[in-house]
Amino acid sequence: MQPSRFVSLLILVVLPLARTMAQSDPGSQDQKSAPLAPSFKTEIQPLLQSKCVRCHGEKSLKADLDLSTFKGIVKGGESGPVIVTGKPDESPLYEKVHKGEMPPAKKDRLSEVQADSLRRWIASGAKSDSDPGDDVNPIAKAPLSQHDVIPIVLRHCTGCHGLRQKEGNLDLRSRASMLRGGKSGAAIVPGKPEASLLIKRIHLGQMPPPARLVEGSVKPVDQAETEILGRWISQGAPEIAIDPDIATNRPDPLVTDKDREFWAFQPPKPVTVPGVRHQERVRNPVDAFVLQKLEAKGLSLAPEAERLVLLRRASFDLTGLPPDPEEVRSFLADTDPNAYAVLIDRLLASPRYGERWCRYWLDLAGYSDSEGKREQDLPRPHAWRYRDYVIRAFNSDKGYDRFLMEQLAGDELADYENAPEITQEIYDNLVATGFLRMAPDATWANITGYAPDRIEVIADEIDILGSAVMGLTLKCARCHTHKFDPIPHRDYYRLVDVFKGAYDEYDWLKPDVRPGLGPVSEDPRGGRLLPFVTTAERRAWEASHAKIQKETDAIRLEIGKQTEVLCAKYREERLAGLPEVLRADLRTMLATTPGKRDAVQKYLATKFEAQLSVDANTLKMLDPAYKKAFEDADAKIRDLESRRSPEPKIQALWDRGEPSPTYIYRRGDFLSPSRLVGPGVPSVLTDGKDTAFEVKPPWPGAKKTGRRLAFARWITRPDHPLTARVAINRIWKHHMGSGIVKTLDNLGKAGSSPSHPDLLDWLAGEFVRSGWSIKAMHRLIMNSATYRQSSAVTPELVSMDPDNALYSRMPLVRLDAEALYDTQLVVAGRLNETRFGPADPVQVQPDGLVTPTGTQAGWRRMIYVRQARKQIPTHMENFDFPQMNPNCVERRDSIVALQALQLMNARMNHELAEEFSRRVRREAGTEAPKQIEQIYLIALNRLPSDEENRIGVEALAKLARHWQLASPGVGHTDPDAASRKAIATYCHAIMNSAGFLYVD
Amino acid sequence: MSESGLREATNISRRSFHQGVSSGILGSALTYLLARDLQASDGPGDRYQDLKPRDPHFDPKAKSVIHLFMNGGPSQMDLFDPKPMLDKHHGESYSDKIAGEVEFIKDAGALMRSPFKFARHGECGAPVSEVMPHLAGLVDDIAFIRSMHTTNLTHEPAVYLIQTGKMGPGRPTVGSWVVYGLGSENQNLPAYVVLDDPLGLPVNGVENWQAGFLPPTFQGTRFRSTGSPILNLKSEIDRPADVLHLEQDLINRLDQIHKHDRPGQPNLEARIASYGLAARMQLAATEALDVSRESVKTQEMYGIGRQPTDSYGRRCLIARRLVERGVRFVQLYINSHIWDTHTSLATELKSACDRTDRPIAALLNDLKQRGLFDTTLVVWGGEFGRLPIAQLPPDKNESKAGRDHNKNAFCTWMAGAGIKGGTTHGTTDELGLKAVENRVSVPDWHATILHLLGLHHDRLFIEQNGLKEKLTGVSEARVVKEILS
Repeated sequence: MQPSRFVSLLILVVLPLARTMAQSDPGSQDQKSAPLAPSFKTEIQPLLQSKCVRCHGEKSLKADLDLSTFKGIVKGGESGPVIVTGKPDESPLYEKVHKGEMPPAKKDRLSEVQADSLRRWIASGAKSDSDPGDDVNPIAKAPLSQHDVIPIVLRHCTGCHGLRQKEGNLDLRSRASMLRGGKSGAAIVPGKPEASLLIKRIHLGQMPPPARLVEGSVKPVDQAETEILGRWISQGAPEIAIDPDIATNRPDPLVTDKDREFWAFQPPKPVTVPGVRHQERVRNPVDAFVLQKLEAKGLSLAPEAERLVLLRRASFDLTGLPPDPEEVRSFLADTDPNAYAVLIDRLLASPRYGERWCRYWLDLAGYSDSEGKREQDLPRPHAWRYRDYVIRAFNSDKGYDRFLMEQLAGDELADYENAPEITQEIYDNLVATGFLRMAPDATWANITGYAPDRIEVIADEIDILGSAVMGLTLKCARCHTHKFDPIPHRDYYRLVDVFKGAYDEYDWLKPDVRPGLGPVSEDPRGGRLLPFVTTAERRAWEASHAKIQKETDAIRLEIGKQTEVLCAKYREERLAGLPEVLRADLRTMLATTPGKRDAVQKYLATKFEAQLSVDANTLKMLDPAYKKAFEDADAKIRDLESRRSPEPKIQALWDRGEPSPTYIYRRGDFLSPSRLVGPGVPSVLTDGKDTAFEVKPPWPGAKKTGRRLAFARWITRPDHPLTARVAINRIWKHHMGSGIVKTLDNLGKAGSSPSHPDLLDWLAGEFVRSGWSIKAMHRLIMNSATYRQSSAVTPELVSMDPDNALYSRMPLVRLDAEALYDTQLVVAGRLNETRFGPADPVQVQPDGLVTPTGTQAGWRRMIYVRQARKQIPTHMENFDFPQMNPNCVERRDSIVALQALQLMNARMNHELAEEFSRRVRREAGTEAPKQIEQIYLIALNRLPSDEENRIGVEALAKLARHWQLASPGVGHTDPDAASRKAIATYCHAIMNSAGFLYVD
Repeated sequence: MSESGLREATNISRRSFHQGVSSGILGSALTYLLARDLQASDGPGDRYQDLKPRDPHFDPKAKSVIHLFMNGGPSQMDLFDPKPMLDKHHGESYSDKIAGEVEFIKDAGALMRSPFKFARHGECGAPVSEVMPHLAGLVDDIAFIRSMHTTNLTHEPAVYLIQTGKMGPGRPTVGSWVVYGLGSENQNLPAYVVLDDPLGLPVNGVENWQAGFLPPTFQGTRFRSTGSPILNLKSEIDRPADVLHLEQDLINRLDQIHKHDRPGQPNLEARIASYGLAARMQLAATEALDVSRESVKTQEMYGIGRQPTDSYGRRCLIARRLVERGVRFVQLYINSHIWDTHTSLATELKSACDRTDRPIAALLNDLKQRGLFDTTLVVWGGEFGRLPIAQLPPDKNESKAGRDHNKNAFCTWMAGAGIKGGTTHGTTDELGLKAVENRVSVPDWHATILHLLGLHHDRLFIEQNGLKEKLTGVSEARVVKEILS
């Protein structure tokens, strides 16, 4: 039995006994319990002092709770009040003690007698006798301030009576504006709740208006809230100056220097490269660090892999595609000792590199082309610009510091609204902020757009930031102080406040709803799109529209002229059928507009106008040639109009300058706001003295808070404890199969320890010194002997380094979903290497199969295929493409039967195998051994062994025979057709083989 | 380099691959694999990765579950929870009192009585509406929970909650947790099978059977009741059988060479095994789904071969065939929204019952006849309930009135293994608006299902960043002991 249970069991057994003894006569309970009520001053306070105050005192405010004073007890902690007067069983202070959860150490636990006096004190009303200033019934009479009221008006009122809208000319955001009131007068009368319109309207059920609740995504004011509003007004609507809780240069009571000692919270330290015995294996310092650990176990680096293995490995690692046969030949022919280093440089310069490494970042960002969460899965038609931005950033080797800066605060880097020209740089800044728009989001609909739904989106973004960039499980601190890392509840809400200028649950920009999609939720105040594409793109777009306009105008003019001429002709013909005397008058009548006609003309009009007037519609019936000309013109116009592209827009996040205040939400519940906080970063990642977080407007007169810019500057400091380590650990993982810290998203205390701490710090240092160049890190790692090892496993390695924790070999890896798909296309010669732009559509079959829609030019790489959350291509799902909820910190690598079924049976794979076989016949002719060689070169990037060639030739012959013998309808009597089928089947088998899917 | 030089380089690399071949490693790799059977690679430590049968935490009452998911929100006061007060107050205005709980407030009408008659049935005397005549005969085998409540009145979040315990995407579903905890009795069929309606996917689509942060081995596999049961189970391209076998042999031969050159790589063995499983699954799934092997009498009992019961009847019968073959968790869907009776409640709800009542009663009777009722738990229910007030169409035509969503009360039932038949648990208020007595939350409901399978909701977890992730999350959950036998 666990000790804590034993204690609670004891309490359970003993307490009722004690109670029965103390209160044997229920009738006399009142008389008896009064003298039994323990004194706060002489019993309870000393008890708390000895058992609790060490952690919950002024000096160490764990859980933001101070039990050293009566006031502190009344105030409660981060999870709310700790006592419910008269109800010990509902009071966390007693519950925790009673259940044996507090104090945490068994030896410190309260005795049964002590626990019972705590219970009796709460049961008797939790009164204080220590200080005459302490109130007898503190909770009910506690003085209120504007900060008790602001959260209530934010929840229910300010959507219509606040910053953006002032219906009835009323703004309820502050005491002053409440007093100023609106059209109907002041909203509050201090001291007189019953006379205050605010209260009256709520009592009458007029506000918030019941019929508009859903439309405004607000709930009615409940009784407890109304009561607080009333009490605050009756107390005179007091306003107390309270500074938001931000970091200061005083010691932080919640985070100590000892907390900061954990390795990951200290800046990476300078490291000297160790000496090793087998210096001859050291190609660069990476190897020294790895060898040091290996040699300590009596191991060394594995032999270098074969050259073609290195070529295939490096090609997939950097470009996600295999080398083509020419590359294979020329690399083998290249005898230059530098050939491998040159290869790495060439691959890094390939535009395919960004398409590959972009994907790793998109996983972290949680990239998606749709909003998710709701059935409609609202599209994000502009998200692709962010994808293109990331590809270009990798290809141009944008410094990782700048890369982060743009994504976290691009809107605060330059004044885009007043820029004379939107340059590529300004455009990139804004597109980059799309990083913070990737979380699943259903707030575009009113019914799923309430404050808690919005808060969920903000929480997801902070989760993405924490897991992708900071390597911390920040989200744990949303409801309470982090259980493992020294991240107080408070620090989470300081971070929330950093984002408040752009992510404010009480001033929310909804995702843009396209007309015809989803219910009536379009936000008239504008959504999340900015028009600031580069001036060049905008001009090109405008020019294309002007050109279309010009062309359609010309067509309309031309057909208009024809119509006019023909109308006149037919009119004259009809006039000719009328008596000569009338004709002149009729002409005048027709030429006069109806309003200006005289009586005679009006008479003529009623008699003859219908008969004489000829318009385009009548002409179409009268004149077949005109009908054709009209329809041709119409078709041309429609065709031209269809070429109008939608206005280019950017899905972005931007600071709006006037954030609502941020309160700590107890237990993460927005209905339980407590302390007011200001912007800040996790205290444990600072030195605790210099706050390193200076917020100022990004440029003079900017309508922006500058908070995210300050955050971005802080996170890209060269001495930041986590930023460089987290990034380099991931780069290492993608090359070496596992991170130096295995938990890529968590370098905190619950994460795993680094297997090579010095190597991690050395790499982090090199990363910063290289100007945060990711390509420099690829060069460093890939040119090491460590990376160039063979992946062969020996019995010695299995016993000495079973999990490859020492990097004693390279891992054998399966191609991931994208690399596999792209490679299938490239071997079939069907890869369309058009880059960038809107995502390619997918087809969804009735049975649920989702496939990318190809074109005449083939298919583009998977990175360019639409990734709507509810229409992920089946191939991707089968091969472990993650659901972005909200992001993916590490993909799984599963082996399941569905993969085999798909590779064997899917139509697209058969078609690609046929294309592959046609390519083989084109390139290698009709001789079987040559065909087999070419197939191996293209698909496996090597030549077949003699045995493999023999197996291949035999298989082709057998397959051809069976195709020929097969039943009519599917078989082929024609020997050539059968042999073509045989190669296709053989190619299909190769594309199903382990050699195709795995990289050594 | 010349062609022969290239050839030589390739052959040298082949030879080098043979170095280090050791039967010892291969042996240990194989042992490792056999222990894992159908497996997913690359998982940390002691987490379950496979579908081997595992012992529950305590003696289970049920070995398998058939979840009849009634997506859309069946109307409790028109099916199992009659409200005479609605007859009394029919036509009285009420919507002002529940503003904030009604999505379409502009369409909100007055209190509305049920268009259906109720009668008491069985020895227990449980009331069932006239639209479920077949189920009415089985009330003594059923435990009704009338006091269910949930946290959101929109389909998507409420469906996520009832399936996964949280109101958003990304977490494992009940079925995933169950097969994670218990594995499967049949390795040739998926452990967790989803029988969806060919007419369309439910709200939230395939996320209804996702494994979330559990390995993908534990996600539900869709079996289609017509055509090819699993996506890509059969080739989309017609090929002679001989050619197919030749290709399978060829792949196997190439993979054996590849593996032989790379000893000590368990993933390669697992991959070869996955091709074998794929072939076995093809046979086993086809057989399990073939309802023509059942007698005409059985098919008739389920309403197969006539409308409107044919489609759901097939799925019910397949469900029985699957649990008979050791499938752990079977989930049945009916196309998107048949229970979402916003309009024309009188006809729409009846039509939903006409499609499902006979098949479900047949399923219960069939399980009883075959002795499967003692080992199979049958669960019926949707994601929320409906309001006591009418929802009117735009023309305010009361004869076409329906009911809007209600998160504060709904009714579910369970039957079979471990269930005390003839029970009714919990009550709603006199209008059926709110669950008031013995309220059962969604986590309570989840804990009860796990309990019947011998799993304790606090002990079935997976470690994530030092936290124990559970189906019931951080909520307190209570097993509804009152409905257990």
